[in-house]
Amino acid sequence: MRSGLARSALALLLACVVAVVVVPVLVLLRTSWVEGRGRLAEIMTDPGFRSAVANSFWLSAAVTGLAVPVGVAIALALRDPGLPGRNFWRAAVLLPVLVPDFVLAYSWLRAYARAGLTSEAFGFAWPQVQGPVGVTVIVASNAVPLVYLVTAVGLSTRAEPVTERAARASGARPLTVLRTVTLPLLGPAIATAAVLIFVLTLGTFAVPQVIGAPAGFRTITTLIYADLALGSDPQSFVEAITLAVLLVMITVIVVTPADRLLGGRLSLSRTPARDSDWGTGSSTTRILVPIVLGLYLIVTCGLPLLALVSAAFTRAVGVPLSPENWTLDNFLAVLTPRTGQALGRSLLLAVAAGSILLVLGGCTAALSRTRSGRAVSVLVALTLVLPGSVLAIGLLIGYGRWLADTVLIILLAYLAKLWALAHRPISAAVDRLAPAGLQAARASGADLPTALATVVVPVLRPALIAAWGLCFLTALHEVTMSSLLYGPGTETLAVVVLNSADLGRIGVTAALSVIVTVVVLVPGGALWMLGRRSRHG
Amino acid sequence: MVWLAALFQLWALGACGSQVATTAKPITLYTCVNDTTIQPVIQKFEAAHAGVKVDLFRAPTGQLNARVASDVRSGGLKADVVWACDPLTMQDYVDQGLVGGWTPQTDIPATVRTPDYVGVAVLYMVAVTRTGRPGPAAWTELSRAGKVAVPDPKVAASALGALGYFGPDFYADLKAKGAVQVSTPDDVTTGVAQGIYDAGMTIANSAYAAQKSGSPVTVSWPKPGAVAIYGPIALSKTTTNSGPAQDFVSYVASRDGQALVGSSGSYPTLPGVGGPTTPDDAPTVYPDWKALASSKATLLRDYAKIFGG
Repeated sequence: MRSGLARSALALLLACVVAVVVVPVLVLLRTSWVEGRGRLAEIMTDPGFRSAVANSFWLSAAVTGLAVPVGVAIALALRDPGLPGRNFWRAAVLLPVLVPDFVLAYSWLRAYARAGLTSEAFGFAWPQVQGPVGVTVIVASNAVPLVYLVTAVGLSTRAEPVTERAARASGARPLTVLRTVTLPLLGPAIATAAVLIFVLTLGTFAVPQVIGAPAGFRTITTLIYADLALGSDPQSFVEAITLAVLLVMITVIVVTPADRLLGGRLSLSRTPARDSDWGTGSSTTRILVPIVLGLYLIVTCGLPLLALVSAAFTRAVGVPLSPENWTLDNFLAVLTPRTGQALGRSLLLAVAAGSILLVLGGCTAALSRTRSGRAVSVLVALTLVLPGSVLAIGLLIGYGRWLADTVLIILLAYLAKLWALAHRPISAAVDRLAPAGLQAARASGADLPTALATVVVPVLRPALIAAWGLCFLTALHEVTMSSLLYGPGTETLAVVVLNSADLGRIGVTAALSVIVTVVVLVPGGALWMLGRRSRHG
Repeated sequence: MVWLAALFQLWALGACGSQVATTAKPITLYTCVNDTTIQPVIQKFEAAHAGVKVDLFRAPTGQLNARVASDVRSGGLKADVVWACDPLTMQDYVDQGLVGGWTPQTDIPATVRTPDYVGVAVLYMVAVTRTGRPGPAAWTELSRAGKVAVPDPKVAASALGALGYFGPDFYADLKAKGAVQVSTPDDVTTGVAQGIYDAGMTIANSAYAAQKSGSPVTVSWPKPGAVAIYGPIALSKTTTNSGPAQDFVSYVASRDGQALVGSSGSYPTLPGVGGPTTPDDAPTVYPDWKALASSKATLLRDYAKIFGG
């Protein structure tokens, strides 16, 4: 039974991975090799390329080094069942994910740059927001919710409150318990989050482009974008593809050893931790945690969100936020039938992508202890790191003859780009699953769907919800791929975003973001309720 | 099951789209011209040419280039008409044998025409200053306005045109006086409107749109003049629908089409046709596009030494 199940899952995985990952990557490799191999040395010795590679590495390392400890600390702090407003904080730490990438940089600039909100209100501006430090802080603060989610899933599936309590009862100090019990058990979840953040940051584009440019801070992705902008010249186009291929190679170098290290997982047969299992914190902790968390969220999320919302309700950029400048014009400009259709299409695509990715991510995670499974997990990281525009080029060259201008090619792009995002959170939780449970259910006469629904899903529910939510939101906010792949009758939200961004109409783009956020909050609220149910029930 | 249902609906949506496309025999237009201009042009053209439908792919220049390059590597250019935002991009397409070989009869000046394409809209690189700051009478005075932002010529073709006209020394001087480089002309406009910068170089459409919406910015056309970057339109060499495609190009280059371009926020090229705000004695200058095409790589390399990247 096990081998049959594994074979089916592997066949499904291989077919999908070939279609959405191998084909576009091979197409890019071929284009780069056939048209650009003569210029490889020239590209790699260019000082601009060397500094971009160094910047990308430093940025990824710094963001990972910043986001992982913060995300893990938040997840650990929010374990305490007696923490005042705990459910509110659990939802609030996820808020940065709701700000779409295409307005993230503007939100921070409007909040903290010269003449920004803090400057107007308190006379404080943060000049370093434009430059490497600003890029690092913004990308890291946006990555923290992802680390938090993966760690929280790890906590609910891997951690052992009883062992912690035993250690404390034996006289171990809290830090000793953290170092010797909690963190070792959370190791795979933390490592998963670290690899994911490192790879995501390698491929991040929007923030370095807007925030880094004034300081001359170029990364590989912004260099690729610049080459594509000059890409009517075939040399620049091939250079962009070659840079993307090099980015893929860097990812292989980083991810393969990381996954090999993660391969030796613990084989567990404990039941998942429940909220009531955790010990309660001290009264000092219960006062300090909400204060620190509140300040952190105001700085990293509250003020940028306020900047975004104020831009949406203000008639022009740069005018005071006084009532005479308030307007709904930006919303009226966005609320058109065309926008509604595009938003509907994007929602449908995001739901489809999230749901399919749940299956693909689950299969990848289930096979993560096998060599084939590890190979698949490395492969899907390649398309995660590829800049959206380059991945779209790979898909267009690979499938354009048959699928150009259809929603299916956009869906393929989402699957390729977000597969790793679905797989890694599930993977961080899956070794909680004892194979014997599934085998026992099947041996007792349950068919596969029943066995999965009754044995697997309850254990993995937090991870599945987290993975689906991440994929849904990222697909909904995605701009670069769908703006390149759309055709007549298949316009997505991305097309509306790009059109509204024309001529710098930031108020309209901000209004669009607010609408999308509201639309997302509805299923988000439902998911949150589901999450609560899964934790309590 | 949820995803299966969603997939089916997506497939149905895609199928509907392609069905419309095959029965209406549309022409496919690739362009980077902004939506505010391109939508009314398409609507009026379709109204004036019964039965002809225009399928639009509109994206910024980088994405447009990526789409064209992908088409070339997967069966050939799928556009019947390409309307670019600068002549360098279009000339590259001509050099690859993708477009050209035909232009319509028009009174548009020969300075913005070649045997392969015709300029139908112009972008003007002007100076924008935060209201209250002195607007530069000459480009050499730009840095006196305070903290200056310039757009990246590796990202925006209009910025590349300005680099071609001014040369790297002009930018070295700005940099020495504290100027920074941002990504696009729109980023310059937004940054100046917001107060992050005191002045900058941006395109006139963007600056006037910000001013019209109420942003505290002033637009100047410094001497020797605003740098003009024309956007050419051309016929695909692989079009199988050349009649309607030629009709579309002819329409955009006609007096009616140019009037529509002018009334929808872009600057037309046909003399005597009104466009967005232009001062009475607005001076304009033109880069030498042929020279720029051959010196582009050297210019960008020299420029990179100034602003990095």
